Amino acid sequence: MAGRVIVITSGKGGVGKTTTSANIGTALAKGGNKVVLIDTDIGLRNLDLLLGLENRIVYTLVDVVEERCKLKQALVKDKKNPNLSLLAAAQTRDKSAVSQEQLKDICSQLKEDYDFIIVDCPAGIEQGFQNAIAGASEAIIVTTPEMSAVRDADRIIGLLEAREEIEGYKLLLNRVRPNLIEANDMMSVDDVVEILSCELIGVIPEDTGIITSTNKGEPIVNDEEAMAGKAYRNVARRIMGEDVPLLDLTEPKGFLDKIKAFFAGLKGKV
Amino acid sequence: MKDIFANLYNKVTKFFHQAEESTDTSAKDVACNRLKLVLMQDRTNLSPAIMDRMKHELIDLLSKYVELDKELLDLSFEQEDSQMALMLSIPVIRAKEESEIEELLKLEEEVSEGVSEEIDSDEEIDDDETTEDDNEEEDSEDSEDSEVVEETTTESENITEDDSKDKIEEKTEPEENVEEEKKPEPSKKKSSKGAQV
Repeated sequence: MAGRVIVITSGKGGVGKTTTSANIGTALAKGGNKVVLIDTDIGLRNLDLLLGLENRIVYTLVDVVEERCKLKQALVKDKKNPNLSLLAAAQTRDKSAVSQEQLKDICSQLKEDYDFIIVDCPAGIEQGFQNAIAGASEAIIVTTPEMSAVRDADRIIGLLEAREEIEGYKLLLNRVRPNLIEANDMMSVDDVVEILSCELIGVIPEDTGIITSTNKGEPIVNDEEAMAGKAYRNVARRIMGEDVPLLDLTEPKGFLDKIKAFFAGLKGKV
Repeated sequence: MKDIFANLYNKVTKFFHQAEESTDTSAKDVACNRLKLVLMQDRTNLSPAIMDRMKHELIDLLSKYVELDKELLDLSFEQEDSQMALMLSIPVIRAKEESEIEELLKLEEEVSEGVSEEIDSDEEIDDDETTEDDNEEEDSEDSEDSEVVEETTTESENITEDDSKDKIEEKTEPEENVEEEKKPEPSKKKSSKGAQV
C-alpha cells in the first residue's frame, strides 16, 4: 500500500491546525480509510486531547525515534474507530528531539500499512515545521480570514513551494463568519483565495460546537448536525477525490434585512 | 409641505442606509489593501523606501526619452494567478523631439567619458542649444529636465541616508552611479503545485 502523507500547517498559531487534523483524520477513517495522525508538536501536544485519547498514551514519537519501543506499539487506536490511530508527541521534550530524517523514515514506514498519514504541524517556520513537512508529499494550509493568519499562510506557501517533495498543497479557510463577511467587516473566501492565489480544499464556518467537542474529546465530524462537522466531512471527501461543492454558509435573511436592503436600493436611485 | 416630506424621507432612508454607508471604506477593503501591500513587500523584499527609489530611477531613465507626468507615474506589483508582475503606468505628456533625445544622450555620453571635463561639456551643450531653431522650447525643456534630476537626487540621497548605505557618488551623476541594490526577485511561482492534495 502506498499511503498519502498530508501535513496540516499554517504558520500562525491558533488558527485550527490541530482541530483540522483531528477532524480530517476522523472523517477519513469514517470513510473507511486506514488513518494515522501524527502530532509533531513536541512539548505542546494537544491532538490527544482533541481525540479524547490523553489517558491512553504510553509511548510517543520521541520514544519511537529513540528506539524505546516499536513504531506499532506507539500507535494508539481511537476509541470509536479502529481505522484511526494516533502517534502522540512527547510532552516533556522539545522540537530538537526529532530530526527531519527520522520523521521522513517514520512516514515512509507508515505509508506501507495506512491510506493516510496526517501530520499535525506545530506553529512557526522553525525546526518543528521543517520536521513536520519532511515526510509529507501534500499539504493543507489552514488559515482564517484575518490579516495576520493570511500573511503567515503566504509565507508558508512560499516555503512549501521551495520544497520539491511537496507535490501539492491546498488552502483550508477556517473560522469563517458569514455574517461578518456580509457586512463587509471580514475578508471573504474569494478575497483570501485571490490574495494567496491558492486552490481551496474547504471552508469551515466558525462554530461554537468546536469548543464543546474539544471539551468532550470528540471531533465535531461525529456530530451529524453541526455545520463545521459537515464542512470537515466535505473536506475529507474532497481529499478522497470526490467533487463536493462548497457549503452555502450564508444564513437565511430575516424580514427586517429585506426592508433595509429595499430602502438602501431606493437611496441609491434617488 | 413638500419640504417636510422630503426631509422625512431622507431621515428614513438615512436610518435604513446607515449599515450600507459604512461599506465605502469597509474593514474588509482596508484589510485586503493593507494585506496586499504587505505581501508584496514580503514576497519581493522591497520596502516602500526602496520601491520609491526604484520609481525615481525609472523616472530618471524614462525622462531621457519622453516627457512624462512624474506625479501620476505609478509603479506597483500585481498578482495575476500565479505570475507576479511589476506594473508601470507612465502618463506621457508629450513625445520628445528627436534632437532633444539625441542631445540628452550625447550629454550623457560625454559625462560618462570624462568626469573632469564635465563642466566644459555642459557649457558646450548650452552653446549648441542657442544655435538651434526652437530655442525657447528647448530651454524650457532643459530646465524642466534638470528639475527632474534635482528632485531625484535629493530623493535618492534621503533614501541612502536612511539605509546608511552608499551615499557617496550620487551627487555628481545621479543617473550613472545609482546602484541597483535589489532587483525584484523572480518571486515564487505558485500554481504549479496547487493542483493535487
